[in-house]
Amino acid sequence: MKYENLYFERPEDDIDILDFNNTGVSNESSVIYRDYKSSIEHYLLPISRQLENPVIRFLTLKAQWEVETAVLSSATEIAMHPAYQQIIGMGHVAIPLILSEMKRKQGHWFWALKSITGEDPVLLKQRGRIKEMTEAWIRWGKEQGYLV
Amino acid sequence: MGKRARVSCMSKQDSEKFFPILSNSGYSITSPATPEYNCIAWAASDTNTWWEPDPQNLYYWPPEVSRKYTLDSYIKAYEILGYTLCHDANYKSGFEKIAIYVNANGKPTHAARQLNSGTWTSKLGRLEDIEHATLDDISGFHYGSIAVILKKPKKDIF
Repeated sequence: MKYENLYFERPEDDIDILDFNNTGVSNESSVIYRDYKSSIEHYLLPISRQLENPVIRFLTLKAQWEVETAVLSSATEIAMHPAYQQIIGMGHVAIPLILSEMKRKQGHWFWALKSITGEDPVLLKQRGRIKEMTEAWIRWGKEQGYLV
Repeated sequence: MGKRARVSCMSKQDSEKFFPILSNSGYSITSPATPEYNCIAWAASDTNTWWEPDPQNLYYWPPEVSRKYTLDSYIKAYEILGYTLCHDANYKSGFEKIAIYVNANGKPTHAARQLNSGTWTSKLGRLEDIEHATLDDISGFHYGSIAVILKKPKKDIF
């Protein structure tokens, strides 16, 4: 399963996460079963082990970064935050997570994406236009197979 | 409590957490939070673009102005829009004023624009626009102090 579907979306037809024969299992059952599994992970795994999961690590770092840089008006300073730098340090595994987050909510992920991928699909005339920059990166993510 | 009210309540708490003076001086939130523009753009009345002279050339900066995080560069960016340096922040009919804040190293951190009422409007990072009574309301740890005031004649004066 792609990381992008783990936390941000709940596709109703995603029944194949069940560990048993899912014939006749409703979408509601699959959702309950998935929540049950994530609850077990939440309560039984120590936090240090949970952070080994790239999705949890990404969400933890993102939450810290968002709170601590909320009033900064410089994207460079925003990108210099240690949590943001750790997300960059996650490398390519962070790309689908970042792109999924961008699909959900606009944010200043451009520095991270450019740093990890070495690419920049944003046109010169789009610089600073966050909506257009976001759309350019999402289009790039689809072309590269990171997003469906 | 509805979703909209809950968001607004959270944001007010956020603003006051970062700028404690605001909670005593009175202010109002005048827009939803958005990452689409920053305070530098908002002071220039641009709500579609994030203005920043970043070295990676990711964001908009007037092409005529050097891409440096210096007060001089920020002043030049506003001068292109018709602003000139000014001596005080007092309200003067027929003029629009902008204040640029700098940190202890002299690096620009924030800009605020004066409204017709004589109060000021600021975009707080990726949070909301607010209307605040004085420039000192948001000075301090995050934005430092006011470095310069600029002014330009208002267009709508006949």
